[in-house]
Amino acid sequence: MALLIKTENLWKTYDMGEAVAVQALRGVNLEIPRNEYAAIMGPSGSGKSTLMNLIGCLDTPTDGRYWLNEQLVSEMDDDQLAFIRNKEIGFVFQTFNLLPRATALHNVELPLIYNGTPAAERRERAAEALAAVDMADRVNHRPNELSGGERQRVAIARALVNRPSLLLADEPTGNLDSQTSAEIMNFLERLHNQGNTILLVTHEHDIAAHAHRIIKIRDGQIESDERTR
Amino acid sequence: MWREPVTIALAALRSHKLRSFLTLFGIIISVFTLIGVMSIIEGLNAYIAEKVANFGTNVFYVTRYPIITNAKDWLEAQRRNPKMTVEDMEYLQERMTLAEYVGAQDWREKDVRAGKESIDDVGIRGTTPTMVHISTEKVAAGRYIAESDYERRAMVAFVGTEVTERLFPTVDPLGKTIYIDGLPFEIVGVAERVGSVLGQTQDNFVFIPLTTLNKIWGEGPAFDTGPWIGIKCSSPDVMAQAMDEARTLMRARRRQKYDDKDAFGLIASESLTNLWDQIFGGIAAVAVGVVSVFLVVGGIVIMNIMLASVTERTREIGIRKSLGARRRDILLQFLVEASVLSTVGGLVGVLAALGATALVVATTPVPMRTPLGAVILSLAVSTAVGLFFGIYPAQKAARLDPVIALRAE
Ligand SMILES: Nc1ncnc2c1ncn2[C@@H]1O[C@H](COP(=O)(O)OP(=O)(O)O)[C@@H](O)[C@H]1O
Ligand SMILES: [Mg+2]
Repeated sequence: MALLIKTENLWKTYDMGEAVAVQALRGVNLEIPRNEYAAIMGPSGSGKSTLMNLIGCLDTPTDGRYWLNEQLVSEMDDDQLAFIRNKEIGFVFQTFNLLPRATALHNVELPLIYNGTPAAERRERAAEALAAVDMADRVNHRPNELSGGERQRVAIARALVNRPSLLLADEPTGNLDSQTSAEIMNFLERLHNQGNTILLVTHEHDIAAHAHRIIKIRDGQIESDERTR
Repeated sequence: MWREPVTIALAALRSHKLRSFLTLFGIIISVFTLIGVMSIIEGLNAYIAEKVANFGTNVFYVTRYPIITNAKDWLEAQRRNPKMTVEDMEYLQERMTLAEYVGAQDWREKDVRAGKESIDDVGIRGTTPTMVHISTEKVAAGRYIAESDYERRAMVAFVGTEVTERLFPTVDPLGKTIYIDGLPFEIVGVAERVGSVLGQTQDNFVFIPLTTLNKIWGEGPAFDTGPWIGIKCSSPDVMAQAMDEARTLMRARRRQKYDDKDAFGLIASESLTNLWDQIFGGIAAVAVGVVSVFLVVGGIVIMNIMLASVTERTREIGIRKSLGARRRDILLQFLVEASVLSTVGGLVGVLAALGATALVVATTPVPMRTPLGAVILSLAVSTAVGLFFGIYPAQKAARLDPVIALRAE
């Protein structure tokens, strides 16, 4: 099976000026094939988000190499990374990160705006993506008119609207109650069954239990990596 | 790509009306000033053109003072230049070879009465008969002041339509008597209507023989200018030569040395135009200064607001970047927003200026005309200011690190 993600000795060091530099990642080697559903676990401050940001092309490593879809993204410049984020990656954040003044529909349209999709097609595809997360009747609502679970579903619709290769979810249920969390996890399950590759960051064992592979990291290094299903 | 930032900017304007007004105040004032000044200049241009046309063709005047624009020259000229006299006029009339007509006119302001009606402060102009060829007032009925009137110091008057309409609204004024300062004058002629300039009627005058004026009211106080001597040439080609001739003759008469300044003034319609150009230059320079200062202030305020907006919306920028917005997408968004802001300011300024101009034109005699070019220029300038002062905040937004931006708040 072709690898979707391959990292080679990834380092991320935060230069703190006078103080000692923070080594958030210390040589991470990771291989994730297509249609994987993996969870990254670890205590707070262990480097989970840092790793997610690198994998999501929001940040570049201090050292090491990273291939996404066989492209060496660790060598890319800002605009190329923006292009990769737009085309290959869908983010789901703990805090939803929707634009507060925009409607659900407009929020979902955003990735399409940045790849130049014509307005009519944009609207149609955004509406479809919202329908896929059972939000067809909420397209014109703004985030503050939606519940937490609904907001996260809008975020999932937005993450998927461009049909990315990889769905990155950083603590997607961190701000939700357990019932809504279960609902969101069901969506992720369904998306995985439809063939999506999902990388999930969490520190909760029952959330991680939905994944098929659990990668534990500690102090910026992979501590264990095991298949659970 | 365009619509979104435009909508965001307009929505922001709508939701904070007062703040927006204050933000855009600098731009509004600049555009207001720019259009106001350009309207005044345009209006005055038209006024001056009309004045110059009224000056008479191929005519210049010899006067006590040249056109003076500062106090020092004024004091000097007052000491150096003697008051003009009828003898000066006769002197030029005898000796000038390039003049077709030489005349003179002096004036007083007196009350004019007929029956129970009276008009205060009418311009009483003592004139030579030749002035009919030199100044622009034309005879509509009867006749002008004649040679014999001048010699006899006759009590006759050639009057403007304002005088006849107010004193003799229903009857033919020819042959009627008017009382100037209580003294009776017979109306021998009525002038064609001149119209009004700057809301002031130009037809409120009474011409009488200059000799009569001097006989009755004397030559006036020492600080008076004395009569204006009008000289008409046969063609524009000899104007310059004729003015030189008049200057040489007057300098000889005043016994002036080679390097003395002229002890008299020579005024042609050109000098009016030159004076206007000077004033115009002054107004334009001040206006450009004021407008530039306001524009810079307005631009800096917009820059500040945009910087605040970038800070306030750091997370939004992070979100957009995470979804694939490139630097130039963010840059464009904030540039468009800044220029929409400033263009709206420009529009408000234009509307305010058009309103003010209409009000001024309706309520005062100040001539104002708003040229379309001024409106276009103002809008272009205000958009440019937004673009220029938006660059720094927009670059700041575009350069934000997506990870840091996402963590904001
Ligand atoms: N921008 C940054 N500057 C400095 N240190 C950072 C920065 N981001 C993360 N860190 C540090 O790197 C380490 C890993 O952080 P993070 O990846 O956010 O951990 P986790 O998501 O697992 O809680 C922590 O010690 C954190 O303080
Ligand atoms: Mg984290």
